[in-house]
Amino acid sequence: MITYTICIFTQNTIGLLNRITIIFTRRRLNIESLTVSETERKGVSRFTIVIKSESREEVEKLVRQIRKIVEVMAVFGYLNDEIVFNEIALFKIATPLGAKSLDVETINKQYKAWVVYWGLDYVVIEKTGSEDDIFGFFEYLKQYEILEFVRSGRVAVGKTEKGLVEYLPEAEWAYYL
Amino acid sequence: MEAIASPITDTQESIQTPVLINGSQALMKALIAEGVDTIFGYPGGAIMPVYDALYDYQEQINHILVRHEQGASHAAEGYARVSGRVGVCLATSGPGATNLVTGIADALIDSTPIVCLVGQVAKRLLGTDAFQEADIMGVTMPITKWNYQITSADEVPEIISKAFYIAKSGRPGPVLIDITKSAQLELMTQPFEYECCQSLVSYRPRLTPKKEQIEAAAKLINNAKRPYIFAGHGVQIAHAEQELIAFAEKTGIPVATTLLGQSTISTDHPLYVGWLGMHGNYGANVMTDEADVIIAIGMRFDDRVTGDASRYIKQAKIVHIEIDPSEIDKIIRADAPVVGDAKEALQALLPLVYANDHTVWRNEFRKFDTIEHDTITLPALTNPEGKIRMAEVIDTLSQKTKGEAILVTDVGQHQMMASRYYQFRRPNSLVTSGGMGTMGFALPAAFGAQVGAPDRDVVAIIGDGCFQMTIQELGTIVQNKQPVKIIILNNNFLGMVRQWQQLFHERRYSFVELQNPDFITIAKGFGMDGMTCDGRENLSGALDTMLAHEGPFLLEVIVEKEENVFPMVPAGATVSQIRLS
Repeated sequence: MITYTICIFTQNTIGLLNRITIIFTRRRLNIESLTVSETERKGVSRFTIVIKSESREEVEKLVRQIRKIVEVMAVFGYLNDEIVFNEIALFKIATPLGAKSLDVETINKQYKAWVVYWGLDYVVIEKTGSEDDIFGFFEYLKQYEILEFVRSGRVAVGKTEKGLVEYLPEAEWAYYL
Repeated sequence: MEAIASPITDTQESIQTPVLINGSQALMKALIAEGVDTIFGYPGGAIMPVYDALYDYQEQINHILVRHEQGASHAAEGYARVSGRVGVCLATSGPGATNLVTGIADALIDSTPIVCLVGQVAKRLLGTDAFQEADIMGVTMPITKWNYQITSADEVPEIISKAFYIAKSGRPGPVLIDITKSAQLELMTQPFEYECCQSLVSYRPRLTPKKEQIEAAAKLINNAKRPYIFAGHGVQIAHAEQELIAFAEKTGIPVATTLLGQSTISTDHPLYVGWLGMHGNYGANVMTDEADVIIAIGMRFDDRVTGDASRYIKQAKIVHIEIDPSEIDKIIRADAPVVGDAKEALQALLPLVYANDHTVWRNEFRKFDTIEHDTITLPALTNPEGKIRMAEVIDTLSQKTKGEAILVTDVGQHQMMASRYYQFRRPNSLVTSGGMGTMGFALPAAFGAQVGAPDRDVVAIIGDGCFQMTIQELGTIVQNKQPVKIIILNNNFLGMVRQWQQLFHERRYSFVELQNPDFITIAKGFGMDGMTCDGRENLSGALDTMLAHEGPFLLEVIVEKEENVFPMVPAGATVSQIRLS
């Protein structure tokens, strides 16, 4: 199975998420992760959807079906080496009195993760990275008591110098930047 | 001075203050601005303000009261298919809206432009499971080209103009607009202004094909030894019939049509070789395996056309002319895709293709025609044994109408027989439910087609099973005095299902026999004249009576009970495995 990242640029309208996900459902494609946010252009949203597929052809067909949606402005399907991508994970680790103390130096230096919240008897650690990085860290943290673990969807930008600007139709989009 | 001036100023302002209208009135004005002259609909609680506004616009907009909302959506389809305009239907919220669903799905798969306007509960009640509230936005999302919920009167002009633009442009399709009752009732905050939508930021269908794609296609066509044209519904949608014929005649390439592409080219044209697909013509199907270049125009390689797609036309290079880019490579990989309008593509191709004849190649089709004629057509038309055969009815009708009627068919054996035996002479003459295969389609669609083409003869060919799915629309036809002619081919069976059970389920006829009512009595109950024809000797006279009748007429023909439609490509087989018996 090959991982594909589908980036969809859309107008920001109600119900669009549903319209997009229906296309995956109809084609029996499972969504591994999904992230939506507004882009540098006001009113333009960016969906980043990760799927796994054995067939590049199927992914190409999927991309064309998504492009068909009236509010969709552009769709790109990427392989992992064509994008810069990351996820963020939060780990809530129990730190009761007498428990094994956290090795913060290893967490910081080896895993590039940070304690972002200190509770009375727990801490929250943030780790950014690829799926492998995050699960590598997860393995490391197993020696402690993990109370909660949450992982975000993937965010990604293409490696080509210009992305969105090249492809979106000319319009009076207000830029945040 | 001020004391005198003030009242004058006030008066002037009151004269100049524009009259603000409510959302329902805005909707009427928007529809008129779009040139809508006919709406098929059914009133109810959540659409009442729109109906109230409609009362004032009866002179400009003809509202046709159907008997069930499914009838409204099919009638809108029939109207759109023959008139080339957008069909409009109107329904209330909840059950009214959900009853439209079958017609909406049918319109999507057969690329038919309709705009469905449905009422919705008031904005404050949305999502509360209010009376007659259904999430019609969620329901119709996968079966519309676009849908939108209007929650304020001010949105009406912009959204309606977008709805019509999206429905009719590019690859046409259904659009649903859900309007809350509060938006129908509230006043707009600014004067009504309307501008027809011409383009959208995110939606820009490509009409003009790229030059390099046209050149690549022309190169393939010019080098072909055995080229073959498949003409689909897209040719008719683009009004490219003349361009298709000019292209075929210049290049000498034989033309087959899909089911929905039928009537694009006259069946007596020397280059016409038949129709493709499960029950299409023998030669048209078999010869797909002999072609070296296939030029598919406005068709989407439906599985009823391809049979087993993994073994379909592997030997041929494919030129695929299609306005919807998502159809390119979806089923069959194209060697020369051309994205654009069929008319523009053919116009661009015409000067680039060489004049040719392909006589030897074209003649190869004819030997299959002879086989088909001798083994299927001739026995079907000349066998004096037993009850009347469907083929005889269609063949006689074809002769009597000189192939110039609009045929509206339902779905099943009669549909395939109508397509096989009617000799189409004029473009845009077959209205049928192709992609969805919707039983119950024909009666309301025929009515809509007659409204859309009042100067043409419209004949509905319907099976006894299909007829009972939308039988109540007889009332709509009578009330609106539309001279639709209806032929029921009655074999007391769900004929196509029975055929499959016979061929593939060892004659286990599981729930396919119908105890039918007296259709003529029912028609008369609705105020429609009709008669039954039960003998071969009466068929010609009965058809004459029907065609000569001034108003609508129901002709029931009792046909052979266990007749099968051949040729047939069994599901999952290849087209070359087409069966003659």
